[in-house]
Amino acid sequence: MRAPSAQDVAAGELLLSVENVSLAFGGVKAITNVSFDIRRGEIRAIIGPNGAGKTSMLNVINGFYNPQRGKITFKGRTRTRMRPYEAARGGIARTFQNVALFKGMTTLDNIMAGRTLKMQRGFFWQVLRVGPALTEEVEQRRIVEEIIDFLKIQHIRKVPVGKLPYGLQKRVELARALAMEPDLLLLDEPMAGMNLEEKEDMCRFILDVNDQYGTTIALIEHDMGVVMDLSNRVLVLDHGIKIADGVPATVQADATVIDAYLGVGH
Amino acid sequence: MHGTRGLTGQNDAVSTDTARVDTFPKLLLRNARKFSGRTAYRHKDLGVWQSWTWPQVLDEVRAFSVGLSQLGLKRNDKVAVIGSNRPRLYWAMCAAQALGAVPVPIYADSVAEEMAYILDHAEVTLAVVEDQEQVDKLLSISDRLNRLSHIVYDEARGLRDYDHTRLSWIDDVQKLGRERLAADAACAAWWESSIEAGNGSDLAIMLYTSGTTGRPKGVMLTHENLIVSAINGNRFDNLGPNEQVIAYLPLAWVGDHVFSYAQPFTAGFCVNCPESPETVAEDRREIGTTYAFAPPRIYENLLTQTMVRMEDAGRVKREMFHYFIRLARRWGEKILNRERVPLHARLLYGLGELLVYGPLKNRLGVSKVRLAYTAGEAIGPEIFRFWRSLGVNLKQLYGQTEASVYITAQPDGEIFAETVGKPNIDVEIQIAENGEVLFKSPGVFVGYYKDPEKTAEAKTPDGWVHTGDAGLICPKTGHLKIIDRAKDVGRLNDGTLFAPKYIENKLKFYPNIREAVVFGHGRDSVCAMLNIDLVAVGNWAERNNVVYGSYQELAGHPLVYDMLREHVDEVNRSLAEEEAMAGAQIRRFLILHKELDADDGELTRTLKVRRSFIAERYAPLISALYGGANEADISTEVTFEDGRKGTLSARIKIRDLAPHPVRGVDMRKAA
Amino acid sequence: MLGPFLETLIGGLLTGVLYSLVALGFVLIFKASGVFNFAQGAMVLFAALSFARLAEFMPLPLALLLAIVVMVALAYAVEFLVLRRLVNQEGIILFMATLGIAYFLEGFGQTVWGSDIYKIRLGLPTNPIFLFESVFPGGILIDPSELIAATICGLLVLVLALFFQVTRVGRALRAVADDHQAAQSVGIPLNQIWLVVWAVAGLVALVAGMMWGTKLGVQFSLSLVALKALPVLILGGFTSIPGAIVGGLIIGAGEKLAEVMLAPVLIRTFDLAGGGIENWFAYVLALVFLLFRPQGLFGERIIERV
Repeated sequence: MRAPSAQDVAAGELLLSVENVSLAFGGVKAITNVSFDIRRGEIRAIIGPNGAGKTSMLNVINGFYNPQRGKITFKGRTRTRMRPYEAARGGIARTFQNVALFKGMTTLDNIMAGRTLKMQRGFFWQVLRVGPALTEEVEQRRIVEEIIDFLKIQHIRKVPVGKLPYGLQKRVELARALAMEPDLLLLDEPMAGMNLEEKEDMCRFILDVNDQYGTTIALIEHDMGVVMDLSNRVLVLDHGIKIADGVPATVQADATVIDAYLGVGH
Repeated sequence: MHGTRGLTGQNDAVSTDTARVDTFPKLLLRNARKFSGRTAYRHKDLGVWQSWTWPQVLDEVRAFSVGLSQLGLKRNDKVAVIGSNRPRLYWAMCAAQALGAVPVPIYADSVAEEMAYILDHAEVTLAVVEDQEQVDKLLSISDRLNRLSHIVYDEARGLRDYDHTRLSWIDDVQKLGRERLAADAACAAWWESSIEAGNGSDLAIMLYTSGTTGRPKGVMLTHENLIVSAINGNRFDNLGPNEQVIAYLPLAWVGDHVFSYAQPFTAGFCVNCPESPETVAEDRREIGTTYAFAPPRIYENLLTQTMVRMEDAGRVKREMFHYFIRLARRWGEKILNRERVPLHARLLYGLGELLVYGPLKNRLGVSKVRLAYTAGEAIGPEIFRFWRSLGVNLKQLYGQTEASVYITAQPDGEIFAETVGKPNIDVEIQIAENGEVLFKSPGVFVGYYKDPEKTAEAKTPDGWVHTGDAGLICPKTGHLKIIDRAKDVGRLNDGTLFAPKYIENKLKFYPNIREAVVFGHGRDSVCAMLNIDLVAVGNWAERNNVVYGSYQELAGHPLVYDMLREHVDEVNRSLAEEEAMAGAQIRRFLILHKELDADDGELTRTLKVRRSFIAERYAPLISALYGGANEADISTEVTFEDGRKGTLSARIKIRDLAPHPVRGVDMRKAA
Repeated sequence: MLGPFLETLIGGLLTGVLYSLVALGFVLIFKASGVFNFAQGAMVLFAALSFARLAEFMPLPLALLLAIVVMVALAYAVEFLVLRRLVNQEGIILFMATLGIAYFLEGFGQTVWGSDIYKIRLGLPTNPIFLFESVFPGGILIDPSELIAATICGLLVLVLALFFQVTRVGRALRAVADDHQAAQSVGIPLNQIWLVVWAVAGLVALVAGMMWGTKLGVQFSLSLVALKALPVLILGGFTSIPGAIVGGLIIGAGEKLAEVMLAPVLIRTFDLAGGGIENWFAYVLALVFLLFRPQGLFGERIIERV
């Protein structure tokens, strides 16, 4: 596989930086004083044992949670509080660990929903489906069709996604996120619950997205093999604390990481 | 007047001008003139059907072809074509043929190793492939293929950053061609003269057949082989320029090459390429294909899917479906065959068409199908009849790569589920002494590439080709019936033909019989060992209050023996109807105490019986069958599910049957 | 026998359309926000009151326009003052909030507009129409104002269905109905969607209020119509728009038929005081449904097809 090398990325422009972020629910600390950054064009993996705070971190980045302390700078703008749809507007798309699709809608409608922010025409024209709105609908549809082609889901275009097998639902979710043409794509365990073949396909799609559209990707993944193959840099969390950060080979050799995964005194 | 001209024009397409228009590139030039307004290719891409008329195809192929010549492609070079059914891969074949090069389509799902063998054996110098996946495969073996100098791809995704010194995108190759054509006014004329230099007797294509044993063999077919066969096929079924086909079967299969390349080129009809392999059914529905072909497996799958979906449907819908399907089974085929049918049945069938058959056919994308073929292997008679009963004109065809497909086919109105029809136009068949079917036709292949020995084995000096299949010609109808692989066919001691698989299939047709093994080669009579189907017989036992404690007990139950005896007797009766088979009726049978199992080596991993191994393992039973004993003891080692081994012993009863008199003769007398 | 039966049936169906309309308001809000809006009945009353009183001072079209403005403003106020502050709260808390809104609206409406019975006169023809006079003796009597009301309701339902199915906002609404988090993550602002939904529910309430008001006069009891919508919802399913429509029709026709056809039989057979079947029939039907088909006629399976 061919992700760009670590050197290419290290030189890349800073896309997102997380500084000293802490998040707690009631008295329970989910994230404690974590700092890291994501550079444009890279594939950034976030790994760690269960309950390490990985998903919480994604939720902080796209505004589902607002951290009690620390600051987040995205595309040069620092913010403390943000709503999810504002994050979306800013160019952050994401998928969910347990697939959050619009189950009653077709694949096509799901992906079209991903275009919500890209559609400009007024409501009135929308209702009538004439004039500029129609041209726009056609143009949006063309972009969506390219994504459908890209992810090879032509055959399920008109199927309500609730009826699809899990592996395909994950692919539709990725398609919907891609439809937003995001600057930063957050993938929460994109390969969870997949069989080997589906995993390989998904790996390939992720690399292709990164390669073809130049999309920066941050992903949470459990499969170390996948992480090593896909990512340029790896952030390791354990109990909400950052324990390592670097290129895959370094991280893999790191003693604390091995401890976190295998338990101390192995 | 215009109409008249059109008509003669078409006749001319079919026969006379083949003398001149004797290669595919020449046909392309002709079609661009003659069918200038007609759509030649469609491809669904990004959710929309793109289409090309014949002149547009000519323009694309010309640019592609000139581009390929710029890349160094010459007469007699071999060009691999690998990928799914896309217009540009078909055009690649024509573009290569225009230069006198020979396309070699390869199954796209082959692994790199298999490809390496063919690419090396065929001495391929250039490959046109679909996408990154295929490019990666070829690159992984490129160090072993020093002849392969260039790869051209259709789908650019993911390939942007690859080293392009020996790699090109089709668009760029065409651009190269177009630039050359624009820069040099003589180039177009040069290209057409290159086409004119081609002859019907030139090699058109090499198709590698994946033989069941040994290395694949490269079947060499000439333009004439394919064009004459295709034209004869068009005439046999009256196919004209208005047909619509969907191309979805592997490019390397001779069927696809004839149905989606040779026939459209000769008849001028339109080839539709699906969006992806998964969307074929929907795309077929959108296009409304009129001419279809598929291996039996596909018809079977569609039927199964329909049945499963119906079981999930609401009660009213389900019962309506089953009622009308029963009605169709009873009358549908008769109506399709234009036999006499009572008025009320016709009216009910009409209602069924409105409520069930029509919507179902629409769903399956066969509403407009005028002619559908099943080929490749035997289709189950039930499945075959189901489709015909819905009013789909499904027919069987028997063909081979070595014959440019057509050997026999069922003419309209002469459909018998168990035969494969009559010889096609210009085809002769004969049955050899050992039962093997031989044929002779304009489509007979030149030979296997670089393998005169195998060629000589398959093809007699006077032009007859061995099919490797054993068959017989039905005396009543003159139709060919395929009974077995020729090498499996043996003879009883009195010389009667013994086709084990044929008999076994007849036995296995009964749901109660799961597996059957018959013996007879080199013996005085035919005997059978049967396996019951636990589900079917178990159900029957439950319904009839037959108590049993184990498989072995059920298998040995006298009532079960009675039931299976009736099945065997029915098989014998049907064998008696065929003169050649009447002597091979089953005289004695037994029911095995255990299921034949791949873990015990009795079946292959693809679940085919290993007859000789079974004969050896159950030798005491065989000697009892042929020794006249009424029962026999057997003890075998078995492997249990968990891998443990044990011994299974049983005393097995044997039943006798009286043969039926030969009925075939009587039938002829009566007729 | 068939003549009176048909007459009752048609009369019941026309009433049923109004039930449907009220139930529709419930369904819209329930689908988009998972909130059971107890205030829907109060909104019907408030809308009708506003329109009736405004119509006393100005021409009908202007009154209608102003009433629409009032309902949209109400939606805005509800979203801004209540819902926005209760994001991510439990369903029961939101339900309590709508309870509060309901009582506030009833009281506030009367404070502003007064508490008498007000008439709405839309100038619809009132002379009854007789159909099929040649087929049945005396024909079938139909009240034309009811017919017109039903037609308007039908059109409204059609427009709503179209709005949901083909527009971007409709798609966003369906998306929100399916999965809040996912909808937010693709950039659909929940607040705006809620605003739209409450505004639409307000408009539906306005139309329903006008129709009921024309028929019975605008009075406090109008808010009790909401209680009739409950059995409709149970019949049709809480999340199904076609369910709300069909449920309304069944309840409307069912209770009329029960009153006219069943009551005399009961009175004769059991020597009862009679009457009042209309009041409880719908609830008993709903009860039967709860026992045998708790998901309603159009259970979850239809949810996606608005």
